Amino acid sequence: MLLDIIYWATQRKWLIIALLIGALLYLLPTPHGLILSGYHTLIIVLTAILLIIYEPIPLPAVAMLILVFQVLFGIATPNEVAASFMSDAVFFIMGSLMLAVAIVSQGLDTRLALGIINITGHKTWRIVAGFVTVCAILSSFVGEHTVTAMMMPVGLTLVRHASRDPKKIMKLTGLILFSIAYGSAMGSIGTPSGGGRNVIMMGYLSQFEMGSLSYVEWMKYAYPMLLVEIPLAVILLWWTFSPEKRILDSAVRKLKVQVAKAGGITGRQLTSIGVFALVFLGWVFLSPTIGLGIVALLGVVLYLAFGLVEWQDLNRNTNWGVIMLFGAAISVGLQMKDTGAALWVATKVINMLRIVTGDLDIIRSFVSIFLTVGLTNFLSNAATVAVLGPIVLNMGGDAVIITLATALASAFAYMTVVASPTCMIIHSSGLVKPTDYLRAGWKMTLMSIAVLFLFIHLFWPLLG
Amino acid sequence: MKFLLAVSSEDYSRPTLRMGSQIAKSFDARLNVVYVGPKPKEFFAGRVSLARDSLAKWEIYHPGIEVLRWAFQDLQSSGYLENSGENGFDPLNMVEENDRYRMVLPGSYGQEIDLVLREGEIIEELRKECGEEDYTLSIIGGSKGRNMAHDLLQYLPTSVLVMKNLDIEKSYQILLCVDDSPATDRAVRFGGTIAKKMGMAVTLLTVSKHDEFGEGYTNAAKSAAQYLDSLNVSHEQKFLTGNPITTFVGAAGDDHLITMGASSRSPLKKFFLGSKPMKTLEQADCPILVVKGQ
Repeated sequence: MLLDIIYWATQRKWLIIALLIGALLYLLPTPHGLILSGYHTLIIVLTAILLIIYEPIPLPAVAMLILVFQVLFGIATPNEVAASFMSDAVFFIMGSLMLAVAIVSQGLDTRLALGIINITGHKTWRIVAGFVTVCAILSSFVGEHTVTAMMMPVGLTLVRHASRDPKKIMKLTGLILFSIAYGSAMGSIGTPSGGGRNVIMMGYLSQFEMGSLSYVEWMKYAYPMLLVEIPLAVILLWWTFSPEKRILDSAVRKLKVQVAKAGGITGRQLTSIGVFALVFLGWVFLSPTIGLGIVALLGVVLYLAFGLVEWQDLNRNTNWGVIMLFGAAISVGLQMKDTGAALWVATKVINMLRIVTGDLDIIRSFVSIFLTVGLTNFLSNAATVAVLGPIVLNMGGDAVIITLATALASAFAYMTVVASPTCMIIHSSGLVKPTDYLRAGWKMTLMSIAVLFLFIHLFWPLLG
Repeated sequence: MKFLLAVSSEDYSRPTLRMGSQIAKSFDARLNVVYVGPKPKEFFAGRVSLARDSLAKWEIYHPGIEVLRWAFQDLQSSGYLENSGENGFDPLNMVEENDRYRMVLPGSYGQEIDLVLREGEIIEELRKECGEEDYTLSIIGGSKGRNMAHDLLQYLPTSVLVMKNLDIEKSYQILLCVDDSPATDRAVRFGGTIAKKMGMAVTLLTVSKHDEFGEGYTNAAKSAAQYLDSLNVSHEQKFLTGNPITTFVGAAGDDHLITMGASSRSPLKKFFLGSKPMKTLEQADCPILVVKGQ
């Protein structure tokens, strides 16, 4: 019994530490310039961040704790908390997770494989360029993890055909897997539907009544940046994982034979593509009126209605805990705005950085980009945006630019395994090491930040 | 009797698997080979699971299944499992049970071993595994991380054999540490059985901090020697004075399997002050077996 208690305490030490820090802060006097409910909101945010990073308790428990604390601390009434828990952004995350299951289950990966190798041929650099480009473009519409889930079998099969001994082609393996992961992560900036975090930032922008961005407007700002990043990413990945084999002729041949066995495209696959095309058109034309989340849910209903996916499969592969957590994070994000906590933190940060420079634009860029990039590599990109969004939007300046810069910077999650779902998915293959993420990730991060800076200061002003 | 044998990879676990399976055979114990792989962060678990489903359609399986496949084949090639010619290992026969995956092996294979895949933090998962089945002994490799074996020793409810610096080419002897603690008797029986079945010589070592050996120590040493005599195991007996831990470690060198009873200290004292087996494990350059229970 005593041993079990000691074991529990060692395993749950981050729960104990987080709650102790929270309790300690609760006992301290409210900082100057902050009202009590704002201070309590910040305590909840800090405690929740620790619990999300270290996961001493399941994520749904963290989500419930956030909601419960809001009521217990008197920040909001139960009905207010419940109302702020669900939003179009949460609908979008729920819908996109389900759409991913529906799309991945159609077996379109064989079609993609054939398409890529038919275009690229057998030279390794062309195959890598093909993977990065296809992953980036597809993930800009259907979401990063959906594309990674479809492309990873293709990449790994190619690698497996290249050599029977994985140790002889470790660099090639890294190159192909990171082309898929980084290509998909990079592509998620292209449109709002590329990632839940884009929709969260758009939601904050409109909920705080600071402006609005439509699907097409977002693309006008972000898509050119994505197109510039694609070739640069190919060069950086090639430089990092200079592969053992420059030509993959026999591997490509074997892959073609394997893929050919799947036969031609089926009616079911065509219907599935048709449904997604409708969803895309809905995002472009209907989302300003009915919201991105509602369109995503409508897409899920269509997939179910056409019998393209079973509810049991959707239910099994949708992480309801993550959806609850985003609901809770957005709810506390709104409280940060309403209680003035976000403004207080934003002012403090700006005042602190004014010691270094008086240029407010540089400070805003620094916080929205560097802080987001720093946090996104440890906290997951969507959670980063849910927490930082209200703060950066309270720093002043052009709210649309801040929204885009923060959402785009949160995609630069390249340096750790836990940074993004795509990084985690390729790590689950057991073929890449955590150090590989650092080796390739710092270059990708610097390149992405540089391109974003150039776009903020040179290209976006041209768009008005 | 059922033994748990934890494997991590082909590169690191071959010696542990070879020696561990021999010891299981010497006890006629059923062997469960367990692989514990890293669990994806809960944030992304659903999405990783989706990718795994997609990979499985291309016959690309969880890396842990490949480790278990290797373990199965290695047990066949070492002769532990009879090679009946039938295809015993099929990833499609992996069944989900509670929070683990177990390979359903056909025919005689299924009566001899189980292959289990778990995901999560190693200590937590091995504790859960021990809760799942009634294991007598857990066999683990000598982890590079000092705390891993140390924590497993503390938190696993079974006896623990840590294959630290194991070299299967080397011939090992058993160093049986004998004192008046309640677990010594069981350690002697365990160590004696291994020695008899595997043809190892035994050194019975009793260490006192003082110049005199108390009655409890001498009686325990005498009883241990009688037991080994009854098994016809060749042994020598040593009485040394000094710090028990450094003396055990010095006497064991790198060619002994240190066998000792678990500490009778309270869990709280063990947590803050450590114990003789834990400190011996930290300092030893050879495998160590810590026997728990009565």
